[in-house]
Amino acid sequence: MLAIQNLTKTYPNGVKALYGVSLTIPEGMYGLLGPNGAGKTSLMRTVATLQEPDAGTIRLGEIDVLRQKDEVRRRLGYLPQDFGVYPRISAQDMLSHIALLKGITSSGERKDVVEAMLRRCNLYDVRKKSLTTFSGGMRQRFGIAQALIGNPQLLIVDEPTAGLDPGERNRFYNLLAEVGENVVVILSTHIVEDVMDMCSRMAIIHLGKVLFEGQPADAIAQLRDRVWRRSIAKSELPDYEQRYQVISSKLAAGRPVLHILCAQTPGDGFLPASPDLEDVFFTKIRGWN
Amino acid sequence: MLFEIAWFEIRYWLRSWMLWIFTLIIATMIFGAVGTDFIVVGSALTNTYHNAPYVIENYYTFIGLLTLLMVTAFVNSAASRDFSHNTYQIIFSTPLKRRDFILGRFLGSALVSVIPMAGVSIGILLAKYMPWVDPERWGPVVWSAHLKGLLVFAVPNTFFIAAILFTIALLARNDVVAFIGGILLLTGYIVSEVFTRDLERETLAAILDPFAIRTFGLLTKYWTVAEKNTVTVGFTGLLLWNRLLWIAVGIGVLAFGYFRFSFAERARKSKAAAEEPSAPAAAAAFPSFELRQDNWTKLLASVRIHFLGILKSTVFIIILIAALLNCVPSVIFNAREGYGNATLPVTYWILDVIASTLYLFVLIIITYYAGVLVWKDRDNRVDEITDSLPAPEWVSFLSRFIALGAMVMIIQFLALLSGIIVQAVYGYHRFQFGLYLSQMFGRDLLLFIMFGALAFFIHALAPNKYVGYFSYVAFAIGNVFIWRPLNISTNLMQFGATPQVVHSDLFDDAPYISAWRWYALYWAFFCALLAVATVIFWPRGRQLSWRERWRNAGLRFHGLWPALTAVCLLLFVSAGAWIYYNTKILNRSMGPKDRLRLQAEYEKKYKSFDSLPMPRVRSIKYDIDLLPETRNAFLRGEEVIYNPYSDPLREIHFSLDRLYEVDIDIPGASLVKDDKDLSYRVYHFSEPLAPGQSLTFHFTVKSRNRGFENSVSNVNIVQNGTFFNSTVGPVIGYASDREINDPIERKKYGLGEQQLMPALERNCSEHCRDNYLKGHSDWIDVETVISTSPDQIAIAPGSLVREWKENGRRYFDYKLDHSSLNFFSFLSARYAVQREDWNGIKLEVYYDPDHAWNVPRMMNSLKKSLGYYTANFGPYYQKEARIIEFPRVDSFAQAFAGTMPYSESIGFIANLNHPDDIDMVYYVVAHEMGHQWWAHQVVGANMQGATLLSETMAQYSALMVMEKEYGRDMMRKFLKYEMDNYLRSRGQERLKERPLLTVEAEQGYIHYRKGSAVLYYLKEMIGEDKVNAALRKMIERYAYAQPPYPTSWDLIDAFREQIPAQYQYLVKDLFEDITLFSNRTLEATAHKRNDGKYDVTIAVESHKFKADPKGNETEVPVDDWVDIGAFAKPEKDRKYGKTLHRELVHVTQAHSTYTFVTDELPDKAGIDPFLLLIDRVPDDNVKKVTLAATSSTATD
Repeated sequence: MLAIQNLTKTYPNGVKALYGVSLTIPEGMYGLLGPNGAGKTSLMRTVATLQEPDAGTIRLGEIDVLRQKDEVRRRLGYLPQDFGVYPRISAQDMLSHIALLKGITSSGERKDVVEAMLRRCNLYDVRKKSLTTFSGGMRQRFGIAQALIGNPQLLIVDEPTAGLDPGERNRFYNLLAEVGENVVVILSTHIVEDVMDMCSRMAIIHLGKVLFEGQPADAIAQLRDRVWRRSIAKSELPDYEQRYQVISSKLAAGRPVLHILCAQTPGDGFLPASPDLEDVFFTKIRGWN
Repeated sequence: MLFEIAWFEIRYWLRSWMLWIFTLIIATMIFGAVGTDFIVVGSALTNTYHNAPYVIENYYTFIGLLTLLMVTAFVNSAASRDFSHNTYQIIFSTPLKRRDFILGRFLGSALVSVIPMAGVSIGILLAKYMPWVDPERWGPVVWSAHLKGLLVFAVPNTFFIAAILFTIALLARNDVVAFIGGILLLTGYIVSEVFTRDLERETLAAILDPFAIRTFGLLTKYWTVAEKNTVTVGFTGLLLWNRLLWIAVGIGVLAFGYFRFSFAERARKSKAAAEEPSAPAAAAAFPSFELRQDNWTKLLASVRIHFLGILKSTVFIIILIAALLNCVPSVIFNAREGYGNATLPVTYWILDVIASTLYLFVLIIITYYAGVLVWKDRDNRVDEITDSLPAPEWVSFLSRFIALGAMVMIIQFLALLSGIIVQAVYGYHRFQFGLYLSQMFGRDLLLFIMFGALAFFIHALAPNKYVGYFSYVAFAIGNVFIWRPLNISTNLMQFGATPQVVHSDLFDDAPYISAWRWYALYWAFFCALLAVATVIFWPRGRQLSWRERWRNAGLRFHGLWPALTAVCLLLFVSAGAWIYYNTKILNRSMGPKDRLRLQAEYEKKYKSFDSLPMPRVRSIKYDIDLLPETRNAFLRGEEVIYNPYSDPLREIHFSLDRLYEVDIDIPGASLVKDDKDLSYRVYHFSEPLAPGQSLTFHFTVKSRNRGFENSVSNVNIVQNGTFFNSTVGPVIGYASDREINDPIERKKYGLGEQQLMPALERNCSEHCRDNYLKGHSDWIDVETVISTSPDQIAIAPGSLVREWKENGRRYFDYKLDHSSLNFFSFLSARYAVQREDWNGIKLEVYYDPDHAWNVPRMMNSLKKSLGYYTANFGPYYQKEARIIEFPRVDSFAQAFAGTMPYSESIGFIANLNHPDDIDMVYYVVAHEMGHQWWAHQVVGANMQGATLLSETMAQYSALMVMEKEYGRDMMRKFLKYEMDNYLRSRGQERLKERPLLTVEAEQGYIHYRKGSAVLYYLKEMIGEDKVNAALRKMIERYAYAQPPYPTSWDLIDAFREQIPAQYQYLVKDLFEDITLFSNRTLEATAHKRNDGKYDVTIAVESHKFKADPKGNETEVPVDDWVDIGAFAKPEKDRKYGKTLHRELVHVTQAHSTYTFVTDELPDKAGIDPFLLLIDRVPDDNVKKVTLAATSSTATD
């Protein structure tokens, strides 16, 4: 279990990345949902021993994450949001090197593990190719492979599905689900379905603060009977935005479909909608309750 | 469209790192070469301005070789980028014209390739303004030279290379092929150098040199300093043709490539670098494994990753090849350099060549790759992955550090290997692996490691890579240059500084090594501390503020680290304290300026005593104890002095040697002045020394070797190979050889122009009292008892009277057989000795047992010299003639009476296997033997022209011995080298060139080189007998004569008596003036006669010049007797053919035609074929003879 207490971080340029963040993350998949710039990456880097908070504590079981960094790293799998690769090195060699640094020092074992991981991440056929020639999706799969290798007890994945096609994405989530039962998995994303599909618990984070923590179903339950939808003409949008608490507007068959938050029946052609996590997400970050 | 593509290409490169790194490398190299004294690029600088047009253009010719592979990188990428990056389908599907594509890419990349070469100009322009450079060595900025360097050399050279390599890359579409092409081009060039080295084919070689290096060399071969400083070479003559030829070749090659290239045919589908795999992987059971955090395994694997990462990078490969290119050919061509003549490729020499040609590149690699490695993960954005892996910081640091160290070692190893291969190929099998290893992988590698540690430390702390590079380079430059202006010389302050270590086969490195070891230890522990700090502050994660970095450092600094730090700190401080005690308390150490300041003060304070009459020496008895084990000597002397003047003498002055403690005890005299700083003493006689009265006094001299010094000050007394001379004892009067010679330094210390020697006087008496060795003495008697350790032989002047052992030491008693000049040497080492007897004279060669190669030649030369000189000059008065090897702390041979110390690094290592080589060993021995007459019997008065009587006469003597041994025809080669040396050296004269008559003692190129040529010519004109008759007369009159001493006029007058009337003009031309000729054969044709002989007709051109002391020449009418002649074709493997005709003709006009008859068809014919006259361009004196169709063959 990962316990985060009162984590605060202000960058030298004055940006408050984290503001008293406290979370308790049990084993299993944990979704961290927030728009870009919410502080997700700062939080994850801090947990991944890459950044110092100004205040607060993090504990992974008995381990003080901020002081016993090496202990954390021995249990950690980390997929950064944005990463590159060494030039002039093949996928297999790089993965093998990372596996070794994680502690798979026996070369025979390492060879098997690397090969299995390459197969699992669908990189086996290109294992001898230079990483610099990889496409975005292939590179992302490599990132996943390096994070998963070594059976981490704490797996932090930051925007893992960026650049993956739907099939790849499904396969990745299957992989995660496989490993995620007995370990702490923090999945950071701005894509609501990912959390909905995968996570038993989640937090919504915005501007460095936790807006919600709990089970996705609980969050949705909070909005029961308060979300309404209606299809409108494009030109009417500003008018509606003035009159209602518009959660979102999405195009359906070329026309905007509005979701609004309203405790009573709004009339005006709005129909009740069954709330989803996306409605929760937008409601939370807009600060409505 | 063409220009758009070209411009696109240029902009592409302007944004790339590679271009600027290459430019920086070239600029740094040239900056180092012109701005400092210890970096050599191509060949070393001469006495021209460091930014002379000649220097600029010379670097522009040479740099083409180093940038060749850089050009390869640019044009290869331009030609094949679309293939290697799979974008070719896009490029070729657009409606580009083939011409625009090819030419645009070519032009763009070729132009970009010129940019690194401009580093030459950048380096030279910047170096001029550095605070440490000597402004007198820098002339005004000559922009036209920079421009011409670029336009005449850089641009055409690049064009030619780029055309070839671009074509290769275009047609091969493969990186490797293009680089191999580049390397082959280079190798081809270097190999061709071997075939065109022969002087005879210079012009052809100059035309065929695609880099115009030889062309430039030929055009400027005999330029004077004035010319080098002002004249620029443009598109003229030979150079124009050369450039046109190679530009045309370039265009031709490019045209070929252009027509062969076809979009459609060759744009075959190449495999995508990495295709998306289609089949989804089957979910298999995951193999089990065990996690073990074994940091040493992690370290090893990381070393491998970083090592391969560097090894595979293009930049590294190019720097590596450029480094080896500067180094290996130097090793190949310089391994056996000498006097147009060969030395054995001894290991210490190879090591010197490697250090001066390779190590700058190694330092560049360290500088560049330390930054690359520290910033590797962040630059490639892998840091978030790698930083969160469970590997400690020390693994990240150490693995990179070791990878870089391994890289350096590979480069060193390649150089070492080339050295050993070159030695083996040249048949030298005395491989000193131990020396190679201790120098390259001991002392040199330690230095590289220390600078690597510093670079890592700086980069680890730096906020970004550029600040890191800048700080490191600024520190490294400051570290070299800041200490001298601050007058700090201790190696405790300069980062990584250790005392110089000189290897000699006699003593290995014994005198130097203990000091080196302590300093190495001191700096090694300092660097260990740096390394600890680097680990503790190693950048990991997003550490934005120093507060966070300190917090992390605090977290890391536990366990073994504090202990390790404490140990390193303790050892560093202890080593420093021990060094301080040894170098500052046990020994005095001086700042670099202190020595010069003392010299200047000495001159200012005591120069006025130079002409003061002093008592003169009559005899000295020495009692010397040498203690080689402790590098000490103890010397007691008993000296008899007398007053030769008509007035009584009240004072006696002494100049002492600073390195020794001297006690003087003069009965009846009191010490009135004891200047300890300047080592000058004045004693006052209580009872003045009356005219004719003599007096005996005693002195002791103790060397003071204790502990170790900052740098070894006394290299004369060593464990094996001690060699010091009598000046360690008290020298009477002012010693002018302690003055500062360098005119620039003199100015800095407020000294006027140095009075080199008093002006020459004819028929002088008063001013000819002293010979040019000075020292207030004439011919003195010496007796010596000298003791040394039991395994060594000690040598002092004269015959060995007695030898015995006592108290476990070996004693020798020597006595001089004939009174001699007051200039003696004392030596001791573990020698092997070869002895022979020649008519009652003992001939002895003392040598290191490993250096027996040339001892028989030395012995032979001793015998032949004695034979010729006793027959032609006069008797030899000593009873022995000894050659004694001494360590390479210096490289000369010197003649003392009967005793000739000869340096390990010349003669003993000469390699004389080729029959056409000049036998330098034989020659030097003959020269030193010549001094036994010319210097040790007849010595010139202390005024200009004195060395004509000693050095030039010794040269002549040696030439005659050589001629007797090797024949008159072989003298040509020797004279040509003497002449070449003279012509080149006079171009480097910083003061005034003197004629032989008034030559200064320091002007070796005149009294040796020109002297040889002039005397040999005189001998050819008037005959050996007449020259020797004049010399005999000098010996008869002046041998061992009391003052006044003879001057150069006496010798010239003796010659004048012997010269026939029609040649009397020679006296003025050869001795009183600086006379130069320009003789040239325009045409040489032969007609076969009916009797089978040949009529040979030559058309020749002759000009004669007189030069003033600054090298300005005025043409004068020719009215001279000159040889004409013809040679047969040389036999296989020989340089010179048989002489078919030789005739002396009186040349009186600029153009003449001569006809003569030869028995065989000549190969070459011309004017002054034996190179007897001093000729500005000696190579055009003879010309290949063309056989004309004769009338008889026409009618057949």
